[in-house]
Amino acid sequence: MTTAVARTAAEEAYGGALLPNPRLEDWKWTNLRTLIDRPFPPRRAVEARPADVARLVAASPFAAIAATRLVFVNGRYDAAHSRLANGSVVATKLTGEPILDMNASFADDGAQLSLTGTTDLPVEMVFVATAGEARTIATRNVIEVAAGAAATVIETYLGEGDYLANSVGEYRVGRAARLDRVKAECEGPAALHLSHTQVTLADGANFRDFTLTSGARVSRQNGTCVFAGAGAEAKISGAYLLGGRQHADTRLVVDHAVPRCVSRELFKCVMDDQARGIFQGKVIVRPHAQKTDGKQSSHGLLLSETAEFDAKPELEIFADDVVCGHGATSGDLDHDQLFYLMSRGLPTAEAKSLLIAAFVGEAFDTIAHDGLREALGAFAAGWLTSHRRGN
Amino acid sequence: MLDIDNLHVKLADEDREIIRGLTLSVKPGEVHAIMGPNGSGKSTLSYVLAGREGYEVTQGSVTYKGEDLLALEPDQRAARGVFLAFQYPIEIPGVATMQFLKVALNAQRKARGAKELLTPDFMRLVKDRSAKLGISQDMLKRPVNVGFSGGEKKRAEILQMAVLEPSLCILDETDSGLDIDALRVVADGVNALRSPDRAMVVITHYQRLLDYIVPDHVHVLSKGRIVKSGDRHLALELEEKGYAEFEKEEA
Ligand SMILES: Nc1ncnc2c1ncn2[C@@H]1O[C@H](COP(=O)(O)OP(=O)(O)OP(=O)(O)O)[C@@H](O)[C@H]1O
Ligand SMILES: [Mg+2]
Repeated sequence: MTTAVARTAAEEAYGGALLPNPRLEDWKWTNLRTLIDRPFPPRRAVEARPADVARLVAASPFAAIAATRLVFVNGRYDAAHSRLANGSVVATKLTGEPILDMNASFADDGAQLSLTGTTDLPVEMVFVATAGEARTIATRNVIEVAAGAAATVIETYLGEGDYLANSVGEYRVGRAARLDRVKAECEGPAALHLSHTQVTLADGANFRDFTLTSGARVSRQNGTCVFAGAGAEAKISGAYLLGGRQHADTRLVVDHAVPRCVSRELFKCVMDDQARGIFQGKVIVRPHAQKTDGKQSSHGLLLSETAEFDAKPELEIFADDVVCGHGATSGDLDHDQLFYLMSRGLPTAEAKSLLIAAFVGEAFDTIAHDGLREALGAFAAGWLTSHRRGN
Repeated sequence: MLDIDNLHVKLADEDREIIRGLTLSVKPGEVHAIMGPNGSGKSTLSYVLAGREGYEVTQGSVTYKGEDLLALEPDQRAARGVFLAFQYPIEIPGVATMQFLKVALNAQRKARGAKELLTPDFMRLVKDRSAKLGISQDMLKRPVNVGFSGGEKKRAEILQMAVLEPSLCILDETDSGLDIDALRVVADGVNALRSPDRAMVVITHYQRLLDYIVPDHVHVLSKGRIVKSGDRHLALELEEKGYAEFEKEEA
């Protein structure tokens, strides 16, 4: 039996496909049918002034760090602001999930990188949206790290005005390779950000991942990490710094398909005002994935009585010789700690900022690159004052 | 420097008066010791002076350097030179001790309109002060008070005091939890800070500390009131006779 559902204006603009809503188990908290409250037509060209692009690119928390940079402006590669020749447009398309399907329909450009050699110099991909008509900007990236190689890749999202960013990233980490991925979601305050990152790890690969979620009115970020080769390790962490009425939903699936892999997930989420943070983490251990070691934890820090944090940990374990666990907590700032800091001379805002930075700092402890860690620390320390000022 | 006049303090969310008409005057350069039985209100007094929430002043006043101390936020009090060495120092995970010292010192300097201390000057200052207190560089890298032993926490409090150079030092049982050698090191650290324009209020249960930090005045606090004051000999007397005499008087 099929029930006819009247399409929303946004759905019409997308060609009639139904947007994800709480009828889908994974979308319990994020109803895009209502959150995407007006059409964001895809492939709508917007003129970008170079000065605006330069200003936005400079706003990246990592502006001073990355030597290699690929800049995408309104979904298109911008050679003038980049410091690397881009590869060809991505051919393969992932589908089967609402964000992926949307991306498969609308993305025309993105980065294709094949990383060999070992270097600590990060490659930054910057995605900027300039002010303009409401529209959907979709990009798709495919990044491969060759066997034995080591790389640090940054994804930075910035923008202003009314737009919906849809970003898909496919990462393949080769045998005994190392990938550090840092993502900063610093979209403009009116934006919506939908992303899906799929990571596949070969034997003995080492993957460290950190996502900062601080921009966008609504964000939904999917992550899938598949262990395809034995003995690999993944550390996936994230921090939310949300205020106003921001809504951020992360859905992570870590799939232990092979034996002897280690996964760690740690999310530290700070919500102020009426902001709402959601963390859904699923760990699957398939029948042959013996000696799996998988742990997951998420922690919410609520700075106001009206802020909210929801955590949904899920374990699906089909092997018997495994160590798995999860934990979730939520609370407000510790008054004794605040008083202690203030009694040493720190004004309230500074004391709170220090505690906030310390709270989320645990999540970027695993980032190997000192400069990136420091940049994120500075961002976290300055967040409370800047967001309360209204930036 | 500090004038406490007929101070009455109750718990904010309970009708229980903890400080019940306390009067105390501390002049620059003086060291006052406050002794008294458990639960007599010594820590409460120190918290009220530092500005902790949860207490309500119902009567009386506290004047510090001519200003109404009770009208100031805890950070403003700190910037004006009030320092409390906590009986139970608070752990701050994720904040390195060194970083904490730096932000605290610079926040105070900023509030006083002074320039931030340059990193090399700051490092030199901390190195000097920590060496004198037998605090290792390794400890400075660790998060504030996290995993510190009882004695290390007390030393760290005195290090903060030595770096921040306050004008009114309130030490709440800084001696408890210290071994005999540590007690001497900490006392030396405190004595190094004694100066004609700095005052100290030393809360302790033990006369031994007062052998090292020799007080000008000793007060007995009982049930929220100063019931006896004297010179350093009062401490010796208390060591011998205990507080029975005062508790009887109060009953
Ligand atoms: N926040 C609070 N909530 C409840 N009771 C409190 C609070 N603060 C102080 N009190 C009570 O007030 C009384 C005085 O406590 P305070 O800690 O000041 O004593 P003290 O003289 O420092 O004792 P000690 O020598 O054991 O350190 C005690 O009965 C204590 O339980
Ligand atoms: Mg006490």
